[in-house]
Amino acid sequence: MQRQLELELIRKCKAGQSRFYEPLVRAYEPAGMRLAIAMMGNTEDAKDALQMAFIKTYDTLPRFDLRRSFGPWFFQILRNQCRDMLRSRKAKFSTEALDERLEQRPADAERGPERVRQRNAARELLWKGLEKIGPEHREILVLKELEGFRYSEIAQILEIPEGTVASRLYHARNALKQALVEMNAEYP
Amino acid sequence: MDTPRPRHPTPVTTEELMRYLDGESPPDERLRVEDQLATSTELQRELAIFRALKTDIQELHFPAVATRDSVWDHVNARLSRPIGWTLLIVGVVVWMTYGSWVFATSTASPWEKLGTGAIAIGVLVLLASVIWERVRELDTDPYRNVQR
Repeated sequence: MQRQLELELIRKCKAGQSRFYEPLVRAYEPAGMRLAIAMMGNTEDAKDALQMAFIKTYDTLPRFDLRRSFGPWFFQILRNQCRDMLRSRKAKFSTEALDERLEQRPADAERGPERVRQRNAARELLWKGLEKIGPEHREILVLKELEGFRYSEIAQILEIPEGTVASRLYHARNALKQALVEMNAEYP
Repeated sequence: MDTPRPRHPTPVTTEELMRYLDGESPPDERLRVEDQLATSTELQRELAIFRALKTDIQELHFPAVATRDSVWDHVNARLSRPIGWTLLIVGVVVWMTYGSWVFATSTASPWEKLGTGAIAIGVLVLLASVIWERVRELDTDPYRNVQR
């Protein structure tokens, strides 16, 4: 979403016109869902977290500094919501929705069934590895690899110094590598 | 003239390797990492492992959010709720004030007014006590996040 349009929508929302919040929700929903699924492990909990994060974001919009970017600010709220839910007894990271995540991608249809089976097995292994490493490692991997945030943006979302991002990424990647090794997966 | 390379260069740190992998290294740091990559098979292998992990995570498939599954309807419902509550409360207060005034100035006998007034006040006191109790328990209620 263009920065100017985003700012205009936020200004309207700050003025109490909640209907202008819909384009923001729709724009950030897919990326938010990816982060929430990666942290929560299943679609249902991810949707609950996402929903609550959007509500909290709207409620705190009057305090939002228009010089900041909306994206990192929203992801910061979403990340805190996911962590709160994981801490409570309501949600626990699980691979219940594994089958759903491993549904066949359009590109897979062009490959042979053996290749599809191998790819699905590799993805399943990776998900299991992600399940093992804990939310603090998962969140930084998702922000970097799936959402493509720069280090400065990740630092803002995770509320850590920018210099710490590389170190946190190393620990997360190393933890995932170790988890995969424990499951007898060979990398690369 | 080129500056001669140090015979024993400082080893590449894990943070430097991550910045190089993610394209976040400053130019001088990038050159230093590349220099050491050219001579260290161990470093090459480590980078290859992290690069493979990076690619595999990027290829993970997440279910797309369909328009019909959007959380917007729920969010919108929650955002509109305060407006609904405000209108409801204002309406009830207006009607109750008006009704009380009409009833108080009516020709009904004092006994009828006393009985009806006692019932109305009793209902209000009970309602207020239930709301107060609920507000006090809200912080410690273990089921407050359960929606379904």
